[in-house]
Amino acid sequence: MAASPASIRQRRSGLRFTDRRKLFLFCLAVPAVIYVIVVALYPLAQGILYSFYDYNLLRRGGRMVFVGLDNYVELLTDATGQRALINTFAFTFGAVFFEFIFGLGLAMLLWRDGRFNRIALAFLLIPVTITPLVVGLIFRALLAVDYGYIGYYLAEWGITSPRGLFAGTTTALPTLIFIDIWEWTPLVALILLAGLKSLPGDILEAASADGATAWQRFRLVILPLLLPTVFLALVLRMMDAFRVFDSIFVTTGGGPADATNSLMVYGVKQGLQFFNIGYASAIGNVTILCIAFIAAVFALLIRRADVRANET
Amino acid sequence: MTKHKSTAWKLGAAALLSAGLAGSAFAADKPLAGVTLTLASQNDQFAAVIAKLAPQFEEKTGATVKVDILDYGSLLTKTQADFVGHTKSYDLVTMDIVWAGQYAENKYTVDLTDWIKRDAAELQLDDIYPATIKYIGQYDGKQVAFPFAGYAAVMAYRKDLLDAAGIKVPETAEDFVAAAIKLTDPSKKIYGFVANGQKGAAVAQDWLQYNAQLGGSVLDASGKPALNSDANVASLKVYKELFDKAAPPGAVDYDWGGREESFRQGLVAMMETWSVGAPGYYDPSMSKVVDSVGISFTPVGKGLPVKYGLGGWGMGINADIDPAKQEAAWQFIKWLTSAPVQKEFNMLGAGSYIRKSTLADPDLNAKYPFLPIIAKSFENADGDYRPRIPQYPEIQDLLGTAVNNVLVGGTDPKAALDEAQKQAEKLF
Repeated sequence: MAASPASIRQRRSGLRFTDRRKLFLFCLAVPAVIYVIVVALYPLAQGILYSFYDYNLLRRGGRMVFVGLDNYVELLTDATGQRALINTFAFTFGAVFFEFIFGLGLAMLLWRDGRFNRIALAFLLIPVTITPLVVGLIFRALLAVDYGYIGYYLAEWGITSPRGLFAGTTTALPTLIFIDIWEWTPLVALILLAGLKSLPGDILEAASADGATAWQRFRLVILPLLLPTVFLALVLRMMDAFRVFDSIFVTTGGGPADATNSLMVYGVKQGLQFFNIGYASAIGNVTILCIAFIAAVFALLIRRADVRANET
Repeated sequence: MTKHKSTAWKLGAAALLSAGLAGSAFAADKPLAGVTLTLASQNDQFAAVIAKLAPQFEEKTGATVKVDILDYGSLLTKTQADFVGHTKSYDLVTMDIVWAGQYAENKYTVDLTDWIKRDAAELQLDDIYPATIKYIGQYDGKQVAFPFAGYAAVMAYRKDLLDAAGIKVPETAEDFVAAAIKLTDPSKKIYGFVANGQKGAAVAQDWLQYNAQLGGSVLDASGKPALNSDANVASLKVYKELFDKAAPPGAVDYDWGGREESFRQGLVAMMETWSVGAPGYYDPSMSKVVDSVGISFTPVGKGLPVKYGLGGWGMGINADIDPAKQEAAWQFIKWLTSAPVQKEFNMLGAGSYIRKSTLADPDLNAKYPFLPIIAKSFENADGDYRPRIPQYPEIQDLLGTAVNNVLVGGTDPKAALDEAQKQAEKLF
């Protein structure tokens, strides 16, 4: 009775407004959350579940038999699985290392604004726009010993084996790494260039005024400031490289023998060719775990480098 | 007014009667009008011919046949996904001879046994080589596909090169190996032999052919895998010797395209192949050996029983589709495999035979002089040298890696086949 009607109305109105705002925001978020759950989380959970079963759509009428960690043990102990793991790591580190070195070099060269640099950058980005599958087909044709514009002469002049680069157990993987470097270095360069252009000019000018040499400026000023961008470039490339499939599939099919078999090539074969769903799921999960692990290591290394740079 | 109404009614009745009669006539002429059959077809020579002839079937029955032409890997993956998921994307599927076990075990396609008995007269079964019906589509008492494209393993050779070297056409595997090595002259870019070396199905299938000729076998007498038998190890050594001493350098990465092309371009003296590719050797638009090509039997090892590889494709009907459509699909199969269509089929270059009358046809023989070779091969056929068991795809893959590894020098024959054997045993 003490409360006036106006006061009561005001309080209700306030509560309703707050609740309505929360409800509105909730409604905005729900579609996105549902999408992520349906498209990403549910399949991931399903894949994790399948990896603990002997589940082959073509055997025993597709019945699932629980086998615990057998699929993972099989992957890690089987010669083909081990080779796929080794190849994937070798490919990833080999490709990303050189992409970073060359990418940083290109970014430094293109740093200064100018018409030539802008045109050069546009041309450099062409490989990135071509789908990896097509890039694989292009190089397969170029490097073929029978009719390839490059492969024929390399073999004829004795530079490469008469059987071709893709048919050598020691040359096939390096060739694929080279192809990946050719295609993706410009992307790394672009990311690093964006990082360079965002560097504060006054700090660089101050360093120059203090008599720092070019190398000192690079190592003590530019690189430390660029670390977040470096991390971004490395992780993005690493994630893609680790899941390499297209270029391998169309050039070597994982061959010769298992010389270029990657986790994804192996997983696709097991899952989509032999419908061995349980084992393929285990391969997929191991791939994700490896990517997460490498990203975490990168993060730790970058952070340590950052701390050390600040101490200097 | 009364007269006018009466006239209108009469005209109306007449029109209705006419429409009714016309409809009835139409129904009788085109029993499958409105039906669309989707066929998943391997991209072998027969695929384009089926697509070309399909309108004739539509003209005859009213059913439209849509031909989806796929490469081997895509065909296998897409059709298996269709069967496993019961998505009914395809009504008809071209089934490779080696898929019969998997199809039978999983009941992918309709068992045609009873339908064949019912329509035996129409099918003229006596005219069809028993080996094609047995091997292409029959497994464990079920007919999971009906043969429409039988292939014989044959040897193609360049008469001019053999004549110039004073070598007669090899009749034993041993003679074949010796001739291949002798005929090789890398300085002239002439090679005595070519085969698939590419990892996977390509090298596995080619090696299995040579393996059978040299007395090898993938399974033992009890049906268990015996990939690393002494005979197999020995034949793999021979295969590697041929690649090292008699094949084009790029052959270790050849699949069927590379193999056939190198022969058609005249780089190779001898090659073992499926008979389906033979029409291409006589086609001036794609072959440089039209006047010098010869076709003969695949030579078997001295003292071994004379058997010739049988391969090819059967037409399967998706077990998931509704019965009316299954019947329509069966109509298509009967039409495609009928004697008149088979003749036209092959006159157009399908290179696919199942009937004695087709192989004896004078017009076809005038065009393709090698038909008697195919006929005799079908009479002494071995369709099980590539075991038609459910596990065949995995075994083929294991062999594809093992043999390729040997060819590129990564390992020795016994070690490679021992590893493959270990993996194969897990499948049984």
